[in-house]
Amino acid sequence: MRKSLNAMLPFTVPALVVIVWQILGQSGLISTRILPTPVAVVEAGIQLGKQGILWQYIWSSTERALAGFLIGGSVGFVLGLLNGLYRISQRLTDTSIQMLRTIPHLALIPLVIVWFGVGEEAKIFLVALGSVFPIYVNTFFGIKSVDSDLIEMAKVYRLPWLKLFWKVILPGALPSILVGIRYALGVMWMTLIVAETISENSGIGYMAMNAEEFMQMNVVVLGIVLYALLGKISDWIATTMERRFLRWHPNYLSNH
Amino acid sequence: MSASFGLQLSMQQVSKQYGKKTVLQGVQLDISPGEFVAVVGRSGCGKSTLLRLISGLEPPTAGEILVDHERISGIHPDIRVMFQESRLLPWLKVIDNVAIGLGKEERDKAVSALHRVGLETRARDWPSVLSGGQRQRVALARALASDPRMLLLDEPLGALDALTRIEMQQLIEEIWSIQKFTAMLVTHDVSEAIALADRVILIENGQIAFEVPVNLPRPRERDHHFVRLERLVLDKILKSHANGVSSQLPSSQWTLLPR
Repeated sequence: MRKSLNAMLPFTVPALVVIVWQILGQSGLISTRILPTPVAVVEAGIQLGKQGILWQYIWSSTERALAGFLIGGSVGFVLGLLNGLYRISQRLTDTSIQMLRTIPHLALIPLVIVWFGVGEEAKIFLVALGSVFPIYVNTFFGIKSVDSDLIEMAKVYRLPWLKLFWKVILPGALPSILVGIRYALGVMWMTLIVAETISENSGIGYMAMNAEEFMQMNVVVLGIVLYALLGKISDWIATTMERRFLRWHPNYLSNH
Repeated sequence: MSASFGLQLSMQQVSKQYGKKTVLQGVQLDISPGEFVAVVGRSGCGKSTLLRLISGLEPPTAGEILVDHERISGIHPDIRVMFQESRLLPWLKVIDNVAIGLGKEERDKAVSALHRVGLETRARDWPSVLSGGQRQRVALARALASDPRMLLLDEPLGALDALTRIEMQQLIEEIWSIQKFTAMLVTHDVSEAIALADRVILIENGQIAFEVPVNLPRPRERDHHFVRLERLVLDKILKSHANGVSSQLPSSQWTLLPR
């Protein structure tokens, strides 16, 4: 009993907000034209779900997000590895990457539209660009911060390079790399939300923009709620990865 | 194992400089196979550097180091080091840490090494759940797993509590007397040096200032022979202090001295 209460604790605040919101909407204190009630949002979701459009939209958004994340994440990871491992590579590219990092990638939207048009490529490019830097910075930092005493120990035991990488450097950098992944997943959704407002014929952003034109406020709010849910799911995936890969870490040891 | 399982080590006019600072100056040292040598001295006297040169982690600036009459460069496969910190990989189970330097088919060696230090029941544990003394025992097992012919001990017991230190000293002596590897212990604890070593070497300002054989029967007791020897070595260290030789050292390094 205590345990299940404890498990429910994080959900009490959102539940209360929804209840108060419903009451305010129903009693007319907030006009439903400005903010539809939760029930109306859920109804819109059910209706669109039945038509099948909802799933289609969610899928095309997720597809874009993952494609961009995979491309950007891989580039950031490889660059982080190279610059963390090889001084010459670091000297060559780190300053340039840090310079690019300071540009807000969403400010590039006009340029990106000129380059890629308003199709899929533009959105995937933006998401990729947003995911590169968190993963790059954290991979780079993770490798740089691997305990040099451990590397020295590995030298005494004459570990071959590949074994040194797999057994010492990569696991040592992993906590930091996972932080990068978690952060990049956040940037991924944020970028997509903005990118999907460019001009679109599918996806959650399109659904919301379209609904706005017809003043279907419940669908607009549904879009926002969907983004929140998807963001929460990817965060959950990231923390699950942390628990799985950092089992050895004292922070996660309680249930080994 | 033959009587000469341990390797023979010889340092000839070895010097080490870091930039303009000379840490070791013309060190001449011979260690016989199977001998247990302890190196003592104040912090910053160069004793740890001596060990790092033998381990091959750093090259000497001048002179040469010979193993079984052959000049070595880099890390020798038969020499293992035990550091002051255990340096276990926290993401590998105890047994995998012990097996780190071994090939895939040599896992039984890791098991037996862990058995020798009495931790076979902790094989599947993470290092972070072990106590400091247990971690050092795992580090010892890791160093022993490949049956090294020389073991270098860089103040490996410095961070342990008094009781655990005594236990570890006994364990090291026991394993050494069975396996007959050559051993070099760097320590600032004179009593530990005399308890374990066949010969105690004092390093001062990068040179061997004094050395004395320890011809006491093992296992050693703190009898009056022991205490007299301890006094002798301590006096040598303290005298250099009184002569102001160490006045070149930063004040924080004056605190050495055995517990």
